[in-house]
Amino acid sequence: MGKGAFYPRLAVSNIRKNGKFYLPYLLTCIATVAMFYIMAFIASNPGLSQMQGANTITAMMGFGTVVIGIFAVIILFYTNSFLIKRRKKELGLYNILGMEKRHIAKAMFFETIYVTVISLIGGLLVGILFSKLVFMLLYRLLDFTVPLGFSISWQAVIMTLVLFCAIFILILLFNLFQIKLSKPIELLYGGNSGEREPKTKWPLVVIGILTLGGGYFLALYIKSPTVAIGMFFIAVILVIIGTYFLFTAGSIAWLKMLRRNKKYYYQPRHFSSVSGMLYRMKQNAAGLASICILCTMVLVMVSTTVCMYIGVEDALNMVYPRNVQIYLYECQDEAYPQLTGIVEEETAKYNLTAEDMVSFQYYQEEDDWNRSLFIGDKMAKALTGEIPGYKGQEYPSNAYIGFNLPGSDGAPPLLLDAIRNRLTTELAGQYDTYESETRGLMADSVYSLYGGFLFLGMFLGLLFLMATVLIIYYKQISEGYDDKQRFEIMQKVGMSRGETKSFVRSQILTVFFLPLVVAVVHIVFAFKIITKLLAMLNLTDISLFISCTGITILAFAIIYGLVYMLTARAYYRIVS
Amino acid sequence: MTLLEVKNIKKIYSTRFGGNKVQALTNVSFSVEQGEYIAIMGESGSGKTTLLNIIASLDKPSSGEVVLSGKSIVTISEQQISAFRRDNLGFVFQDFNLLDNFSVEDNIYLPLVLAGKSYDEMNERILPITQQLGITDILAKFPYEVSGGQKQRTAVARALITKPQLVLADEPTGALDSHASDGLLRLFDEINAAGQTILLVTHSVKAASHAKRILFLRDGEVFHQLYRASQTQEQMYQKISDTLSVIATGGEHHG
Repeated sequence: MGKGAFYPRLAVSNIRKNGKFYLPYLLTCIATVAMFYIMAFIASNPGLSQMQGANTITAMMGFGTVVIGIFAVIILFYTNSFLIKRRKKELGLYNILGMEKRHIAKAMFFETIYVTVISLIGGLLVGILFSKLVFMLLYRLLDFTVPLGFSISWQAVIMTLVLFCAIFILILLFNLFQIKLSKPIELLYGGNSGEREPKTKWPLVVIGILTLGGGYFLALYIKSPTVAIGMFFIAVILVIIGTYFLFTAGSIAWLKMLRRNKKYYYQPRHFSSVSGMLYRMKQNAAGLASICILCTMVLVMVSTTVCMYIGVEDALNMVYPRNVQIYLYECQDEAYPQLTGIVEEETAKYNLTAEDMVSFQYYQEEDDWNRSLFIGDKMAKALTGEIPGYKGQEYPSNAYIGFNLPGSDGAPPLLLDAIRNRLTTELAGQYDTYESETRGLMADSVYSLYGGFLFLGMFLGLLFLMATVLIIYYKQISEGYDDKQRFEIMQKVGMSRGETKSFVRSQILTVFFLPLVVAVVHIVFAFKIITKLLAMLNLTDISLFISCTGITILAFAIIYGLVYMLTARAYYRIVS
Repeated sequence: MTLLEVKNIKKIYSTRFGGNKVQALTNVSFSVEQGEYIAIMGESGSGKTTLLNIIASLDKPSSGEVVLSGKSIVTISEQQISAFRRDNLGFVFQDFNLLDNFSVEDNIYLPLVLAGKSYDEMNERILPITQQLGITDILAKFPYEVSGGQKQRTAVARALITKPQLVLADEPTGALDSHASDGLLRLFDEINAAGQTILLVTHSVKAASHAKRILFLRDGEVFHQLYRASQTQEQMYQKISDTLSVIATGGEHHG
């Protein structure tokens, strides 16, 4: 074989030998490429833009594409940095054995080419195969009819190719830069540079407690939903800051407190896990805090979008107790009685009968800022014969009439025009503004909006989940290599296999589930404010939201648990 | 009283599919009396480490028996082996094998914690040992903050705190400078004088010259033995050197 083929072959064997690290990396690459392609495919699909309410969906999917693109950069860089850190020793060895840095660079170049080719081909194949499926799912969610046929969007393919080639080139440059900067002896020991014990930073702990408490307080005590949006963001930022501080400084303070409690600390189970975590916290804390926030985001995103989508019927029912609704604002008392007659006559001209007709007068109060929130309530009062409205008469009265037409969730536009014309001619000057709305039109746009939200929520949720478990997996595996020697020592001085196993389990369990538990706590505190925000979207079914959140957390925990088991097993295999 | 008896130990390493076989120990037998201080010497590849690992119950022999105070350690079950090691053996290694995430004090406690002893008991035991070893004032420090000699003293304290029947030392002076080595060897003399049985595996003539008996291992067999009896350390040093050169030049077997 010619000399030229050496580096490509070396690259292949490098990838094979580092399978434990390369395989998850390749899978991540493929998954990210596939997800990006699917999103870009949907955003650029011409079929979608012809649908009703398509503008919002296209805009949303465009946004989703950007988010996935940014995320792809972050996640691939992150996983790559793990990979390169792990491999420093191997590269250092090559260096010492006489390979020059440019030779290593050559091998790395071929590795990158292989990775790029594999992930692009694999990712695009998976993406193209699944795009149809995802598309059908999206159409189902949006209540659109699914068009037949299978298509590949070349625009999306090119976008994917350009983006990921750019990312991989950047990663290669980053890796080459890392190698260029390092000295062989450092490369050789790159994996295990000693960490000192972290110091307790009480001021940060206090800041953490204050910001987190402040965030929780805001989330619990905001009264009005109008203020809620602004406050919600402040609360979110406070909670994020608090989470970071508590994970970094708070965890160290807490572990040191545990260590000071001699009775607790000097027990076989706690002894090595407390000190092991303390030792690692400095590197881990920020990662765990990020994972925690990512988890919270995924959980909130998925549960609210699911809840919105499921609750959309209820919301429509609340805003549209009748399929066709007409409002006359500032309608004079003499004009109101004629309203019913006009509507009945006009519908009769179209050979239709207005069913379930309800009409009433009401007074709009100052804080009735959202009509939809109380129209159902007013209607209930009107139906039971209780006269609604504000007694002081300072506000002008409004007239409402609502009815259903058989076999339709709307009304022919011509009918509405006719009604409007009669009202303007016959009741001229007796009311201020006319407004009519039909459930059918609204339902289309609401379904496409909420369906789009749900789709985006699930899709990004999946992506974030993948990122989360991947980060933990890499962290644990690379720690496993660092911990290997510690376990060897402990086994030599008399730690049994069983003890090792249970110790590994408890340590990984903490690392895995601490972020999830904290995320759930965040959600519990955020619950009230989220229900208020949902109420603005006419979703008032709190028990629905509770069950959506519960199921989301459960589903999340199950996936999480599976990954935990895989990781724990891989970790155990490394250290024993 | 015989503390340790090693009978006809054989160890054959084979590759996974039984292809290449390497005989690390052909036939090793010796016994260690209570309170003895034995050094095992031999070149690289003579089987020293294999022998030590078998005595330490870290490895199993292909055939033969190791009996520690009447109990065969070859047949101990996997579950009990860690507890057995913890209760009966103390280890001192060349590279100290201290854990960086524990303070010196916690490193010493490690085997006791694993044995489930209470803190009060551990606390009671540590002081006399650290005073003897001269490391009382570094207890709160971490291994990366102390010198090599202090690290090895910490490791010795960890080996002694379980009051083991036998202390196994694998090249304990290998990573120390001559000053620290001398200190450590004097320490071993003191500990041995107080009744502790020590088995030392070493390359170093100086370290071996402190022992009361020296076994020379070659090609997986006990090749020769030297007893110190009433000789001075300097005389022993000379004798060991001579023996080693005989071994190196390929002398006849007269074990």
